[in-house]
Amino acid sequence: MPNTQPHRLMATEIVRMVAGGELTAEAVVASCLEWISEREPVVRAWAYLAGQAALERARGFDRAGKKMLLGGVPFGLKDIFDAAGMPATYGSPIYTGWWPASDASAAALPKAAGGILLGKTISTEFANRQPGPTSNPHNPVFTPGGSSSGSAAAVADFMVPLAIGTQTGGSVIRPAAYCGVVGFKPSFGLFPPAGMRINTETLDTVGIMARSVGDIVLFRAAMLAIPYEPPAVPQRAPHLGLCRGPHWDDAQPEGRAVLEAAADRLAAAGATIADTDFPPECADADAIQISLGAFEGLRNHMPELYRHEALLSPQLRQEKLARGRELTLDQFRAACRAAEQARTAAREWARGFDAILTLPAPGQAPRTLADTGSAVFNAPWTQFAMPCLTLPAGAGPDGLPVGIQLVGRRHDDSRLLAVGLWGESRLGQGDAR
Amino acid sequence: MTGAEHLTASEAVRRLEAGTLTAETLARDCLDRIKQRSAVKAWVWLDPELTLAQARAIDRAGRPGLLKGVPVGVKDVIDTYDMPTQHGSPIYQGNRPYADAACVALTRAAGGVSLGKTVTTEFANRFPGATVHPHNPGHTPGGSSSGSAAGVADGMMPLAFGTQTAGSVLRPASFCGIVGMKPSFGLIATAGTKPLSPSLDTIGGFARSVADAALFIAALTDRPELLPEAPAPAPRIGIYQPAPWDKVEPATLAALEAARDKLGRAGATLAERGPFPAFDGLAAAQSTIMSYEAARNLAWERLNRGTEIMPRTAALLAEGVAVSTAAYDAARRTAAAARAQCAEFFAAFDAVLVPAAPGEAPVIATTGDPVFNRPWTLLHLPAITLPCHRGPSGLPVGIQLVGRPGEDARLFAIALFAEAALGIEA
Repeated sequence: MPNTQPHRLMATEIVRMVAGGELTAEAVVASCLEWISEREPVVRAWAYLAGQAALERARGFDRAGKKMLLGGVPFGLKDIFDAAGMPATYGSPIYTGWWPASDASAAALPKAAGGILLGKTISTEFANRQPGPTSNPHNPVFTPGGSSSGSAAAVADFMVPLAIGTQTGGSVIRPAAYCGVVGFKPSFGLFPPAGMRINTETLDTVGIMARSVGDIVLFRAAMLAIPYEPPAVPQRAPHLGLCRGPHWDDAQPEGRAVLEAAADRLAAAGATIADTDFPPECADADAIQISLGAFEGLRNHMPELYRHEALLSPQLRQEKLARGRELTLDQFRAACRAAEQARTAAREWARGFDAILTLPAPGQAPRTLADTGSAVFNAPWTQFAMPCLTLPAGAGPDGLPVGIQLVGRRHDDSRLLAVGLWGESRLGQGDAR
Repeated sequence: MTGAEHLTASEAVRRLEAGTLTAETLARDCLDRIKQRSAVKAWVWLDPELTLAQARAIDRAGRPGLLKGVPVGVKDVIDTYDMPTQHGSPIYQGNRPYADAACVALTRAAGGVSLGKTVTTEFANRFPGATVHPHNPGHTPGGSSSGSAAGVADGMMPLAFGTQTAGSVLRPASFCGIVGMKPSFGLIATAGTKPLSPSLDTIGGFARSVADAALFIAALTDRPELLPEAPAPAPRIGIYQPAPWDKVEPATLAALEAARDKLGRAGATLAERGPFPAFDGLAAAQSTIMSYEAARNLAWERLNRGTEIMPRTAALLAEGVAVSTAAYDAARRTAAAARAQCAEFFAAFDAVLVPAAPGEAPVIATTGDPVFNRPWTLLHLPAITLPCHRGPSGLPVGIQLVGRPGEDARLFAIALFAEAALGIEA
């Protein structure tokens, strides 16, 4: 594909072409930077861009001529992580001027695999709900979703093929779906969180975004420093559970239509699909989420609350932190117990399927930049610690992307990614090309 | 030897509240003791003027909160905005964090004084720092929370932070003859604490009495309901022999035996908690998870500053790099399945009595073996160490009580009962 501009390539293609001498890492980075300079005034995906440093790193990589897992692939890092040589704000004015000395693992591991960190992408305030300036690249009056707003928008807009996000409620899967990219939130704890600003430690999960499942598989190997084999699309069609879930009434018509159509197409391609719904132990997920977030969130935000309260957004203070002050230990404990029971029940439930097919968000992105949308289709899975993958699968009434979500068995992420590869091969890669 | 530094935190709080003691005097007495006893090498950073200024500010503010000016030692893997945080590693020499860790901010908000930074092993793993055992400098105080345990045991301050990934609170507490509390995983906010293995890392505390440990944990969570009102009446305590039982030394066997006798005589219901096969593989699963996660959470250091990592830590990281994701996933599944069986394990008991360490503190080259702490850390259960006995070298030997999932307050009440039964005086 000599006519494809480098910034539009998949990560797997970049690695192959750079390794084969068809393309230089410098040309890839230069192409991404050029596209960013054109698009950034509208999309506003970046909190900090290290263009010169990235170009130098790319030239160094080209000179060394080593074949590496992510050789020459640019990536973006949500500004909830530290990276040496870049400021870290965590989406809050409190940290203006803070330059950490070391890399978060989510930066160090891809860099060690030959990836080139372009910069920090916009996060909502401490990965909560107060949005940054990012817009949806498909239409700037719509939200890109959050909290990993900049990462989703940057990948969707071809600014960078790979980016890192975090999910405490629905902050990887929802923005990925709103922006029409592939988002992967692994089993809780799979990707290392060192160097990430903690929000709610029992839920915070590092995740990744890309424009294909194949790129997710590649990026995952780099993030884990594990051996990589180019994945083959499985021959066997999976057994899927179609879960409309307790919030089906909150879904928008296009969300429902895309899910039902995707289920039909996957069934036509050979998947066996059975309707399924949350086990009763999992019914209180929303209340549990609020309790865990309020208790842990208040305490993890105490450094800011104690010294810089006026610089926290009123939304954060008045909602999550205020709830955290009121929550009794018994209520928190009850939420922990209920979450543990729900995780156990969900583990048993998930054994019946290769993956559960469900919605990643109510529908297309809301028409606002003041709110990042609802996480009701994500928070339960985050709490159950189950791996989640969203694929673009259709469009809404305003032409914005609508996705589907596949949810796998906890600590069996490879099985989920295999289902994702199969599903992607049957549904196509959305409008990503 | 008669200064306020020897007071329990609870007694100090009473005097601070009554106005018969000021936070400044208390901080000054602690700093004096620290200076006198510098041979223990418990501290990596002290700034007496800053500490005294903090104490005076608390005095001026009317000594608020649960802690009312009580000084707290901060393990040096926990960020402080006003003191360096060096993680026991030359890589972080002079490192100045931008903000406090959540648990330090919670301490300040509760009226605690941050006294200084205590020695940690490198990255809270097993390469020892300079600290020696306060009762015998030829022996280890245990680790990784070496300076915190030694400092509290030596009467330098009433409270200190520890972190436990394998056995870094309960083991040094046992070696140093003090109370160590590892609360339920997730009870104490971890933002700003250097991660080693995030699915295991638990912030805990050292104290010289159970009431003090409860006071500290209540302050750190801003939840006064964690303070036990009274000792648990007639608790049901299971006697459990975790694997590898053959590693239990005579000193620990004697400590467990003595504890069993005294608890029984005081009115506890004691019974054997029989074999529980679901827990047998947990120490191994904990090791797999810890090395896998450490290799990845210390990725920046490993990949960019590898020559500055000590061999013992480098070995852990190399081991972790070699663990396959399939083996890691299997260990995580093992842990999840075992956690789901805790209700059955504790069906007839409020707590179980188990070893806190194989025996008394070994000689200085190592920080001791955490094998009897690993399973409980992996299970995320609350656990407390109480001093109970002396070993062949005359050093302390503790016992460990492990509570039901999430029932930290109940464990404190049981520990109060046990403290009285064992005749422990702070």
